[in-house]
Amino acid sequence: MNKDLLQLHRLLDGGLSPEDEKDILQKIEADPRLQREFDGLVSAVNLLESGERLSVDAAFSSEVMKRLPVRKEPLSTKIRGFFFGERVLRWNVASFVAVSAVLLVIIVSGLFYQSSGKSYRVADGVSPGTAVKTVSLSFNAPEAKAVSLAGDFNKWSIEAGAMKRKDDGTWTIAVPLKPGVYHYMFVVDGEGWVSDPQAESYRDDGFGNKNAILRIDSI
Amino acid sequence: MTIQEEEYSIIEECRRGTSEVYAVLVERYQEMIYNVAYRMIGDSEAARDIAQESFIAAYTSLRNFRHGSKFSTWLCSIVMNRCRDHLRSQKQMVPLDDISELVAKGPNPEVILSDKQTAKDLQAALRAMPEDYRQVIVLKHFEDLDYREMEAILGVSANALKVKTYRAREWLKKYIEKGHGQDE
Repeated sequence: MNKDLLQLHRLLDGGLSPEDEKDILQKIEADPRLQREFDGLVSAVNLLESGERLSVDAAFSSEVMKRLPVRKEPLSTKIRGFFFGERVLRWNVASFVAVSAVLLVIIVSGLFYQSSGKSYRVADGVSPGTAVKTVSLSFNAPEAKAVSLAGDFNKWSIEAGAMKRKDDGTWTIAVPLKPGVYHYMFVVDGEGWVSDPQAESYRDDGFGNKNAILRIDSI
Repeated sequence: MTIQEEEYSIIEECRRGTSEVYAVLVERYQEMIYNVAYRMIGDSEAARDIAQESFIAAYTSLRNFRHGSKFSTWLCSIVMNRCRDHLRSQKQMVPLDDISELVAKGPNPEVILSDKQTAKDLQAALRAMPEDYRQVIVLKHFEDLDYREMEAILGVSANALKVKTYRAREWLKKYIEKGHGQDE
Protein backbone atom coordinates (compact mmCIF):
# COMPACT_ATOMS: atom_id res chain seq x y z
CA MET A 1 0.00 0.00 0.00
CA ASN A 2 1.63 3.28 -1.06
CA LYS A 3 1.92 6.38 1.09
CA ASP A 4 -0.93 8.29 -0.55
CA LEU A 5 -3.26 5.32 -0.15
CA LEU A 6 -2.34 5.03 3.53
CA GLN A 7 -3.11 8.72 3.94
CA LEU A 8 -6.56 8.16 2.37
CA HIS A 9 -7.33 5.54 5.01
CA ARG A 10 -6.01 7.74 7.81
CA LEU A 11 -8.22 10.52 6.47
CA LEU A 12 -11.22 8.18 6.67
CA ASP A 13 -10.23 7.29 10.25
CA GLY A 14 -9.99 10.99 11.14
CA GLY A 15 -6.40 10.46 12.25
CA LEU A 16 -4.58 13.12 10.22
CA SER A 17 -3.15 16.42 11.42
CA PRO A 18 -4.71 19.52 9.77
CA GLU A 19 -1.57 19.97 7.63
CA ASP A 20 -1.56 16.35 6.42
CA GLU A 21 -5.30 16.50 5.79
CA LYS A 22 -4.91 19.63 3.66
CA ASP A 23 -2.03 18.02 1.79
CA ILE A 24 -3.90 14.81 0.91
CA LEU A 25 -7.07 16.70 -0.07
CA GLN A 26 -5.00 18.79 -2.50
CA LYS A 27 -3.48 15.60 -3.94
CA ILE A 28 -6.93 14.06 -4.37
CA GLU A 29 -8.09 17.12 -6.25
CA ALA A 30 -5.06 17.14 -8.53
CA ASP A 31 -4.85 13.41 -9.28
CA PRO A 32 -7.88 11.74 -10.98
CA ARG A 33 -6.59 8.26 -10.10
CA LEU A 34 -6.37 9.18 -6.43
CA GLN A 35 -9.77 10.85 -6.65
CA ARG A 36 -11.26 7.60 -8.02
CA GLU A 37 -9.58 5.61 -5.27
CA PHE A 38 -10.93 7.94 -2.61
CA ASP A 39 -14.46 7.89 -4.06
CA GLY A 40 -14.39 4.08 -4.05
CA LEU A 41 -13.34 3.99 -0.40
CA VAL A 42 -15.98 6.55 0.54
CA SER A 43 -18.59 4.33 -1.19
CA ALA A 44 -17.36 1.36 0.84
CA VAL A 45 -17.55 3.30 4.11
CA ASN A 46 -20.97 4.70 3.17
CA LEU A 47 -22.24 1.19 2.56
CA LEU A 48 -21.00 0.15 5.99
CA GLU A 49 -22.46 3.17 7.71
CA SER A 50 -25.82 2.68 6.00
CA GLY A 51 -26.35 -0.45 8.09
CA GLU A 52 -29.18 0.06 10.54
CA ARG A 53 -28.66 -0.97 14.10
CA LEU A 54 -30.87 -3.92 15.01
CA SER A 55 -32.77 -3.83 18.25
CA VAL A 56 -33.30 -6.80 20.52
CA ASP A 57 -36.72 -7.99 21.60
CA ALA A 58 -38.03 -7.40 25.11
CA ALA A 59 -37.60 -11.04 26.12
CA PHE A 60 -33.86 -11.14 25.43
CA SER A 61 -32.71 -10.00 28.84
CA SER A 62 -35.22 -12.05 30.86
CA GLU A 63 -34.31 -15.19 28.90
CA VAL A 64 -30.64 -14.67 29.73
CA MET A 65 -31.43 -14.14 33.40
CA LYS A 66 -33.52 -17.33 33.50
CA ARG A 67 -30.69 -19.33 31.98
CA LEU A 68 -28.01 -18.13 34.42
CA PRO A 69 -26.60 -20.99 36.46
CA VAL A 70 -27.60 -20.95 40.09
CA ARG A 71 -24.57 -20.06 42.12
CA LYS A 72 -23.99 -21.95 45.32
CA GLU A 73 -24.56 -19.57 48.17
CA PRO A 74 -21.22 -18.72 49.78
CA LEU A 75 -20.73 -20.01 53.33
CA SER A 76 -20.31 -16.45 54.62
CA THR A 77 -23.77 -15.53 53.30
CA LYS A 78 -25.29 -18.61 54.89
CA ILE A 79 -23.69 -17.78 58.24
CA ARG A 80 -24.82 -14.16 57.98
CA GLY A 81 -28.33 -15.34 57.16
CA PHE A 82 -28.32 -17.75 60.06
CA PHE A 83 -27.32 -15.12 62.62
CA PHE A 84 -28.97 -12.00 61.22
CA GLY A 85 -31.91 -13.40 59.23
CA GLU A 86 -35.32 -12.64 60.72
CA ARG A 87 -37.11 -15.57 62.32
CA VAL A 88 -39.73 -16.27 64.94
CA LEU A 89 -38.51 -18.22 67.97
CA ARG A 90 -40.97 -20.04 70.19
CA TRP A 91 -39.66 -20.73 73.65
CA ASN A 92 -40.66 -23.10 76.39
CA VAL A 93 -38.88 -24.21 79.55
CA ALA A 94 -37.39 -27.34 77.97
CA SER A 95 -35.77 -25.42 75.09
CA PHE A 96 -34.49 -22.78 77.55
CA VAL A 97 -32.81 -25.49 79.65
CA ALA A 98 -31.32 -27.13 76.54
CA VAL A 99 -29.87 -23.86 75.19
CA SER A 100 -28.50 -22.96 78.63
CA ALA A 101 -26.77 -26.33 78.86
CA VAL A 102 -25.18 -25.88 75.41
CA LEU A 103 -23.99 -22.36 76.30
CA LEU A 104 -22.54 -23.64 79.55
CA VAL A 105 -20.59 -26.35 77.72
CA ILE A 106 -19.26 -23.80 75.21
CA ILE A 107 -18.14 -21.38 77.93
CA VAL A 108 -16.47 -24.11 79.97
CA SER A 109 -14.75 -25.50 76.87
CA GLY A 110 -13.48 -22.02 76.00
CA LEU A 111 -12.08 -21.49 79.48
CA PHE A 112 -10.41 -24.91 79.37
CA TYR A 113 -8.96 -24.19 75.93
CA GLN A 114 -7.48 -20.85 77.07
CA SER A 115 -6.00 -22.35 80.20
CA SER A 116 -4.24 -25.09 78.20
CA GLY A 117 -1.78 -22.42 77.03
CA LYS A 118 -1.99 -23.44 73.40
CA SER A 119 -1.58 -20.57 70.91
CA TYR A 120 -1.92 -20.24 67.18
CA ARG A 121 0.07 -17.97 65.01
CA VAL A 122 -2.08 -16.76 62.18
CA ALA A 123 -1.79 -14.20 59.46
CA ASP A 124 -3.15 -10.68 59.96
CA GLY A 125 -6.86 -10.37 59.34
CA VAL A 126 -7.57 -14.07 59.74
CA SER A 127 -9.57 -15.24 62.71
CA PRO A 128 -7.88 -17.63 65.12
CA GLY A 129 -9.01 -21.16 64.46
CA THR A 130 -9.38 -20.62 60.71
CA ALA A 131 -7.36 -23.20 58.79
CA VAL A 132 -4.99 -20.97 56.89
CA LYS A 133 -1.86 -21.90 55.00
CA THR A 134 0.83 -19.42 54.14
CA VAL A 135 1.88 -20.03 50.57
CA SER A 136 5.11 -18.65 49.13
CA LEU A 137 5.16 -17.82 45.44
CA SER A 138 8.13 -16.66 43.42
CA PHE A 139 8.70 -15.36 39.93
CA ASN A 140 11.99 -14.69 38.19
CA ALA A 141 12.02 -11.31 36.41
CA PRO A 142 15.42 -9.60 36.85
CA GLU A 143 14.53 -6.79 34.41
CA ALA A 144 11.22 -5.89 36.07
CA LYS A 145 10.84 -2.75 38.16
CA ALA A 146 7.83 -4.10 40.03
CA VAL A 147 5.98 -7.39 40.16
CA SER A 148 2.74 -8.09 41.94
CA LEU A 149 0.54 -11.09 42.54
CA ALA A 150 -3.10 -10.68 41.43
CA GLY A 151 -5.73 -13.33 41.83
CA ASP A 152 -9.31 -13.97 42.75
CA PHE A 153 -8.24 -14.06 46.42
CA ASN A 154 -7.38 -10.31 46.26
CA LYS A 155 -10.02 -9.34 43.64
CA TRP A 156 -7.33 -9.21 40.94
CA SER A 157 -5.88 -6.12 42.54
CA ILE A 158 -2.51 -5.07 41.12
CA GLU A 159 -1.69 -3.02 44.24
CA ALA A 160 -2.63 -5.52 46.95
CA GLY A 161 -0.06 -8.20 46.16
CA ALA A 162 3.22 -6.27 45.72
CA MET A 163 6.12 -8.76 45.65
CA LYS A 164 9.62 -8.26 47.08
CA ARG A 165 12.71 -8.47 44.91
CA LYS A 166 15.65 -10.63 45.92
CA ASP A 167 19.23 -10.01 44.79
CA ASP A 168 19.06 -12.70 42.11
CA GLY A 169 16.11 -11.00 40.38
CA THR A 170 13.51 -13.35 41.86
CA TRP A 171 10.34 -11.73 43.21
CA THR A 172 8.63 -13.40 46.15
CA ILE A 173 5.52 -13.08 48.22
CA ALA A 174 3.88 -15.06 51.02
CA VAL A 175 0.09 -15.09 51.10
CA PRO A 176 -2.18 -16.61 53.76
CA LEU A 177 -4.95 -18.62 52.08
CA LYS A 178 -7.76 -20.82 53.26
CA PRO A 179 -8.22 -24.22 51.62
CA GLY A 180 -9.67 -23.90 48.12
CA VAL A 181 -8.85 -23.44 44.48
CA TYR A 182 -7.52 -20.04 43.39
CA HIS A 183 -6.72 -18.40 40.05
CA TYR A 184 -3.79 -15.99 39.84
CA MET A 185 -1.25 -14.28 37.59
CA PHE A 186 1.85 -12.17 38.03
CA VAL A 187 1.68 -8.54 36.89
CA VAL A 188 4.97 -7.16 35.66
CA ASP A 189 5.50 -3.37 35.85
CA GLY A 190 1.79 -2.84 36.38
CA GLU A 191 0.67 -3.96 32.93
CA GLY A 192 2.12 -7.26 31.74
CA TRP A 193 -0.02 -10.20 32.90
CA VAL A 194 2.10 -13.34 33.01
CA SER A 195 1.17 -16.89 33.98
CA ASP A 196 3.25 -18.59 36.64
CA PRO A 197 5.54 -21.00 34.76
CA GLN A 198 5.69 -23.16 37.88
CA ALA A 199 1.93 -23.50 38.38
CA GLU A 200 0.46 -26.96 38.77
CA SER A 201 -2.26 -26.28 36.19
CA TYR A 202 -3.79 -23.48 34.11
CA ARG A 203 -7.15 -22.30 32.88
CA ASP A 204 -8.13 -19.90 30.04
CA ASP A 205 -8.81 -16.42 31.36
CA GLY A 206 -10.92 -15.14 28.45
CA PHE A 207 -8.20 -12.60 27.52
CA GLY A 208 -6.06 -15.00 25.50
CA ASN A 209 -3.86 -15.93 28.48
CA LYS A 210 -4.02 -18.70 31.00
CA ASN A 211 -4.54 -18.17 34.70
CA ALA A 212 -2.38 -20.25 36.98
CA ILE A 213 -4.31 -22.49 39.36
CA LEU A 214 -3.33 -22.91 42.99
CA ARG A 215 -4.94 -25.58 45.15
CA ILE A 216 -4.76 -25.34 48.92
CA ASP A 217 -5.73 -28.56 50.62
CA SER A 218 -7.24 -28.65 54.08
CA ILE A 219 -4.70 -28.70 56.89
CA MET B 1 -19.40 6.86 40.49
CA THR B 2 -18.28 6.24 36.91
CA ILE B 3 -19.93 3.60 34.70
CA GLN B 4 -16.82 1.45 35.06
CA GLU B 5 -16.91 1.68 38.87
CA GLU B 6 -20.60 0.86 38.84
CA GLU B 7 -19.93 -2.17 36.66
CA TYR B 8 -17.14 -3.37 38.96
CA SER B 9 -19.51 -3.15 41.88
CA ILE B 10 -22.18 -5.12 39.95
CA ILE B 11 -19.59 -7.76 39.09
CA GLU B 12 -18.57 -8.01 42.75
CA GLU B 13 -22.20 -8.54 43.75
CA CYS B 14 -22.57 -11.26 41.12
CA ARG B 15 -19.42 -12.94 42.39
CA ARG B 16 -20.98 -12.94 45.85
CA GLY B 17 -24.01 -14.73 44.43
CA THR B 18 -26.49 -11.89 43.77
CA SER B 19 -27.29 -12.73 40.17
CA GLU B 20 -30.26 -10.32 39.82
CA VAL B 21 -28.00 -7.30 39.35
CA TYR B 22 -26.46 -8.91 36.27
CA ALA B 23 -29.62 -7.81 34.39
CA VAL B 24 -28.23 -4.26 34.43
CA LEU B 25 -25.21 -5.37 32.40
CA VAL B 26 -27.32 -7.53 30.06
CA GLU B 27 -29.67 -4.66 29.30
CA ARG B 28 -26.80 -2.22 28.85
CA TYR B 29 -24.91 -4.32 26.31
CA GLN B 30 -27.51 -6.62 24.72
CA GLU B 31 -27.93 -4.48 21.61
CA MET B 32 -24.19 -4.12 21.06
CA ILE B 33 -23.51 -7.84 21.48
CA TYR B 34 -26.48 -8.86 19.33
CA ASN B 35 -25.41 -6.51 16.54
CA VAL B 36 -21.81 -7.72 16.62
CA ALA B 37 -23.02 -11.31 16.39
CA TYR B 38 -25.49 -10.51 13.61
CA ARG B 39 -22.93 -8.66 11.49
CA MET B 40 -20.43 -11.46 12.01
CA ILE B 41 -22.66 -14.40 11.12
CA GLY B 42 -25.54 -12.83 9.16
CA ASP B 43 -28.31 -14.90 10.71
CA SER B 44 -30.58 -13.10 13.16
CA GLU B 45 -31.79 -16.21 15.01
CA ALA B 46 -28.33 -17.70 15.41
CA ALA B 47 -26.97 -14.27 16.37
CA ARG B 48 -29.57 -14.00 19.13
CA ASP B 49 -28.57 -17.40 20.51
CA ILE B 50 -24.88 -16.57 20.35
CA ALA B 51 -25.44 -13.20 22.03
CA GLN B 52 -27.39 -14.82 24.87
CA GLU B 53 -24.84 -17.60 25.30
CA SER B 54 -22.09 -14.97 25.43
CA PHE B 55 -23.79 -13.24 28.36
CA ILE B 56 -24.18 -16.55 30.17
CA ALA B 57 -20.55 -17.51 29.47
CA ALA B 58 -19.41 -14.12 30.77
CA TYR B 59 -21.45 -14.59 33.95
CA THR B 60 -20.00 -18.04 34.65
CA SER B 61 -16.46 -16.68 34.08
CA LEU B 62 -16.85 -13.53 36.16
CA ARG B 63 -14.19 -14.68 38.59
CA ASN B 64 -11.70 -14.32 35.70
CA PHE B 65 -12.72 -10.73 34.99
CA ARG B 66 -9.94 -8.33 35.96
CA HIS B 67 -10.48 -4.93 37.45
CA GLY B 68 -8.84 -2.41 35.16
CA SER B 69 -10.47 -4.00 32.10
CA LYS B 70 -13.69 -2.77 30.50
CA PHE B 71 -16.58 -5.20 30.86
CA SER B 72 -17.85 -4.36 27.36
CA THR B 73 -14.43 -5.15 25.86
CA TRP B 74 -14.25 -8.46 27.69
CA LEU B 75 -17.80 -9.33 26.64
CA CYS B 76 -17.02 -8.41 23.04
CA SER B 77 -14.02 -10.74 23.00
CA ILE B 78 -16.31 -13.53 24.24
CA VAL B 79 -18.92 -12.96 21.53
CA MET B 80 -16.20 -12.70 18.86
CA ASN B 81 -14.77 -16.06 19.93
CA ARG B 82 -18.23 -17.63 19.80
CA CYS B 83 -18.89 -16.20 16.34
CA ARG B 84 -15.56 -17.59 15.13
CA ASP B 85 -16.48 -21.02 16.47
CA HIS B 86 -19.91 -20.80 14.84
CA LEU B 87 -18.49 -19.78 11.47
CA ARG B 88 -15.94 -22.55 11.57
CA SER B 89 -18.70 -25.05 12.21
CA GLN B 90 -20.81 -23.60 9.37
CA LYS B 91 -17.96 -23.02 6.92
CA GLN B 92 -19.70 -19.95 5.49
CA MET B 93 -16.62 -18.19 4.19
CA VAL B 94 -16.23 -17.50 0.48
CA PRO B 95 -12.67 -18.39 -0.61
CA LEU B 96 -10.50 -15.32 -1.17
CA ASP B 97 -9.49 -16.65 -4.60
CA ASP B 98 -13.05 -16.34 -5.88
CA ILE B 99 -13.16 -12.68 -4.95
CA SER B 100 -9.71 -11.95 -6.41
CA GLU B 101 -10.81 -13.46 -9.69
CA LEU B 102 -13.84 -11.23 -9.86
CA VAL B 103 -11.85 -8.16 -8.91
CA ALA B 104 -9.26 -8.87 -11.64
CA LYS B 105 -11.88 -8.27 -14.34
CA GLY B 106 -11.60 -4.52 -13.81
CA PRO B 107 -13.15 -1.77 -11.67
CA ASN B 108 -16.46 -0.06 -12.25
CA PRO B 109 -16.37 3.02 -9.99
CA GLU B 110 -19.68 4.38 -11.24
CA VAL B 111 -21.66 1.75 -9.44
CA ILE B 112 -24.09 3.29 -6.98
CA LEU B 113 -26.11 1.12 -4.69
CA SER B 114 -29.83 1.71 -4.49
CA ASP B 115 -31.33 2.49 -1.10
CA LYS B 116 -33.76 -0.40 -1.25
CA GLN B 117 -31.05 -2.93 -1.71
CA THR B 118 -28.51 -1.42 0.62
CA ALA B 119 -29.26 -3.53 3.67
CA LYS B 120 -29.30 -6.69 1.59
CA ASP B 121 -26.11 -5.67 -0.21
CA LEU B 122 -24.39 -4.90 3.05
CA GLN B 123 -25.11 -8.31 4.50
CA ALA B 124 -24.10 -9.98 1.22
CA ALA B 125 -20.82 -8.07 1.23
CA LEU B 126 -20.13 -9.00 4.85
CA ARG B 127 -20.96 -12.63 4.15
CA ALA B 128 -18.54 -12.72 1.23
CA MET B 129 -15.80 -10.89 3.14
CA PRO B 130 -12.99 -12.96 4.67
CA GLU B 131 -13.64 -13.52 8.37
CA ASP B 132 -10.61 -11.59 9.66
CA TYR B 133 -11.62 -8.54 7.58
CA ARG B 134 -15.20 -8.84 8.81
CA GLN B 135 -14.04 -8.78 12.44
CA VAL B 136 -12.22 -5.48 12.09
CA ILE B 137 -14.96 -3.92 9.95
CA VAL B 138 -17.65 -4.85 12.48
CA LEU B 139 -15.73 -3.40 15.40
CA LYS B 140 -14.44 -0.31 13.59
CA HIS B 141 -17.39 0.72 11.47
CA PHE B 142 -20.43 -0.73 13.23
CA GLU B 143 -19.34 -0.41 16.84
CA ASP B 144 -17.16 2.65 16.27
CA LEU B 145 -14.35 1.34 18.47
CA ASP B 146 -10.83 2.73 18.34
CA TYR B 147 -7.85 0.55 17.48
CA ARG B 148 -6.77 0.25 21.14
CA GLU B 149 -10.15 -1.21 22.12
CA MET B 150 -10.02 -3.53 19.13
CA GLU B 151 -6.56 -4.65 20.25
CA ALA B 152 -7.98 -5.65 23.64
CA ILE B 153 -10.82 -7.58 22.02
CA LEU B 154 -8.97 -9.40 19.27
CA GLY B 155 -5.58 -9.79 20.94
CA VAL B 156 -3.80 -8.35 17.88
CA SER B 157 -1.65 -5.20 17.95
CA ALA B 158 -3.35 -1.89 17.08
CA ASN B 159 -0.95 -1.31 14.18
CA ALA B 160 -1.69 -4.70 12.65
CA LEU B 161 -5.42 -4.00 13.04
CA LYS B 162 -5.07 -0.66 11.24
CA VAL B 163 -3.46 -2.38 8.26
CA LYS B 164 -6.13 -5.07 8.31
CA THR B 165 -8.90 -2.45 8.38
CA TYR B 166 -7.34 -0.63 5.42
CA ARG B 167 -7.15 -3.89 3.47
CA ALA B 168 -10.74 -4.75 4.39
CA ARG B 169 -11.92 -1.39 3.03
CA GLU B 170 -9.94 -1.96 -0.18
CA TRP B 171 -11.56 -5.38 -0.46
CA LEU B 172 -15.02 -3.87 -0.03
CA LYS B 173 -14.28 -1.09 -2.53
CA LYS B 174 -13.34 -3.66 -5.16
CA TYR B 175 -16.37 -5.75 -4.27
CA ILE B 176 -18.65 -2.75 -4.90
CA GLU B 177 -16.81 -1.81 -8.08
CA LYS B 178 -17.54 -5.26 -9.45
CA GLY B 179 -21.23 -4.50 -9.08
CA HIS B 180 -21.89 -7.06 -6.39
CA GLY B 181 -25.04 -6.37 -4.50
CA GLN B 182 -26.91 -4.57 -7.28
CA ASP B 183 -28.61 -7.60 -8.64
CA GLU B 184 -28.30 -10.03 -5.81
